Amino acid sequence: MAEVSLSKVTKEFGAVSVIKGIDLQIADGEFCVFVGPSGCGKSTLLRMVAGLEEISSGALRIGGRDMTQVGPSDRGVAMVFQSYALYPHMTVAENIGFGLRMTGHDKAEIAKRTSAAAKMLQLDHLLDRKPGQLSGGQRQRVAIGRAIVRNPDVFLFDEPLSNLDAALRVQMRGEISRLHQDLGATMIYVTHDQVEAMTMADKIVVLSAGHIEQVGSPLELYHRPRNLFVAGFIGSPKMNFLTVEARPAPGGAEVTLPGGAVVTLAGQIAVAGQMTLGLRPEHASATGVGDAVLEGTVKLAEHLGSETLFFVALSDGSEIAVKADGLASERPGDRMRVGVPARACHLFDAAGQALINGDLTR
Amino acid sequence: MSDTARSAGFWKRNQLKIAPWAFLAPGAIMFLLYVLIPIVQSVWISFHDWDGLGDKVWIGLGNYVELLDDDTFYVALKNNLIWLALYLLAIPMGLATALFLNQTVWGIRLYKSLFFFPFVISQVVVGLMFTWFYAPDFGLFSQLIKWLTGTEIAVLADERFVTLGIIVAGLWPQTAYCMILYLTGLNNLNPEQIEAARMDNARGWRLLWHVILPQLAPATFIAMVVTVIGALRSFDLVSIMTAGGPYGSSQVLSYFMYEQALSEYGYRMGYGAAIAVVLFLIMMVFITLFIVRMIAQERNR
Repeated sequence: MAEVSLSKVTKEFGAVSVIKGIDLQIADGEFCVFVGPSGCGKSTLLRMVAGLEEISSGALRIGGRDMTQVGPSDRGVAMVFQSYALYPHMTVAENIGFGLRMTGHDKAEIAKRTSAAAKMLQLDHLLDRKPGQLSGGQRQRVAIGRAIVRNPDVFLFDEPLSNLDAALRVQMRGEISRLHQDLGATMIYVTHDQVEAMTMADKIVVLSAGHIEQVGSPLELYHRPRNLFVAGFIGSPKMNFLTVEARPAPGGAEVTLPGGAVVTLAGQIAVAGQMTLGLRPEHASATGVGDAVLEGTVKLAEHLGSETLFFVALSDGSEIAVKADGLASERPGDRMRVGVPARACHLFDAAGQALINGDLTR
Repeated sequence: MSDTARSAGFWKRNQLKIAPWAFLAPGAIMFLLYVLIPIVQSVWISFHDWDGLGDKVWIGLGNYVELLDDDTFYVALKNNLIWLALYLLAIPMGLATALFLNQTVWGIRLYKSLFFFPFVISQVVVGLMFTWFYAPDFGLFSQLIKWLTGTEIAVLADERFVTLGIIVAGLWPQTAYCMILYLTGLNNLNPEQIEAARMDNARGWRLLWHVILPQLAPATFIAMVVTVIGALRSFDLVSIMTAGGPYGSSQVLSYFMYEQALSEYGYRMGYGAAIAVVLFLIMMVFITLFIVRMIAQERNR
């Protein structure tokens, strides 16, 4: 069993507070992704779990044991670094076996476990090569092999795919997911790429400026973002935000859209005022189907074949993105009637907290 | 008109072939003029009896035969070997200093500069400082020895210790040089690699030996080259501190050559050239080793 639990964990560099009190439970065998913009502290948090950064205050427990003060090699964790950090003077086999050598395993055992890990990652034919003679994807696999061979309870990945090209990234994403299924180990994965987070995670932790914005499964975060930050961060293309006037009404919240159209959302709000309406591009309709209609002019059309992305300027000057069918024929300059379905709309108060979530799974 | 067109055409056509040679030319000419030709001349002179002014008299291998019978030559050769062996201590000492200074504390730049200082000042100054340091009566070292043992040792006047004394003086700037080489190497280490090693349970000496030192190999190689060559051409310190004395016991080949060919002891150009040729051959052994290794490394890349 290797669940990871953080309680009131903080990190200060001198007077600068980088991690501001994190409480988090990661279950045994879970694939947990830390995601957030650069500088949000996600890598620092991972390095604190690894033991590479000291924990300023709070407690870290791995598998029920207090690891706050334990050295990195004794925590039962292995880490895959962004730069892979392979030892350039050692062969692939020596790289993979180095950790076992340092912990005093005998040669036969090291050879056995190295070749098992190499087979798992399809590196068998490369064992005598040096890292300099490998491609990016192969180096990435060696770095993972170096982690696997130590048989850790918890795997830590620090933006492991950011140095690969797009095609390879998709492939390695699949391989890491498969690895997680095969090993059943707890994995913590740091990325700034929300697509990686959505595709791989059991649990996503959205971080911003050193604190947790929201924790949840990918679909939970997609359908029920707790605030504007999470709503804007999860999903691609980004959620549209419109400044609106909202007031309580019988049977829900009455919202006046830019241009004067009114839509009624199911759900209760306490007071009236200026608020933010969130609508994902894939839920807006380019053909005017919906509970209300926004009039606008197409500014830009991106034809992707499978779909078309329109950027539409509204009467008040704001712009919204609309995802439409791949065969949609509107061109820049054309008028467009954008349909707004009430059940897909999110409403956020002036402080950015979600009042109503347009949860389509309801 | 047609002539200029043709010449421009020639330049255009052969530009890629000519340009590298044009860039090489200044260096190549200097090297030829001041290195290669003098080497050939030295070898030529070494077969003659010549006072530098009068006629050269061909004596074949006469100078070399005399050299083989010269006790001072063997003293100088032996001292050069001692220099070579002990001078190499500058490499581990430089590494240790670099590791010590490779930290971030307040004012570390100042400490680094201070440690590098002995390499910046002239060898003559280093020699003078150590001469005073060793001086009987008022030298700090002599006082220390006297306080420890009760007897005084005049290092530079004692045949047993004089070469060691000069080498210690030479190690001071050489260590600083090696330190700078290693500091540069340490700067280029990938910090993630050190962290990976920490996670792999490599600490202290094992981290140094298995992960850091292999990555410092290029620095070690350069340190080795400059130290070996520095040891073989040691001249300044010997000249300043003892002039080869007492009784020629701190002679090295380069100073012996100078003494025979160019000093007040006489102007035996032929004999001096023969010593120079011997020194050159010894150096060539090491230089060849270095070059072979460098070529092998480049092929591996």
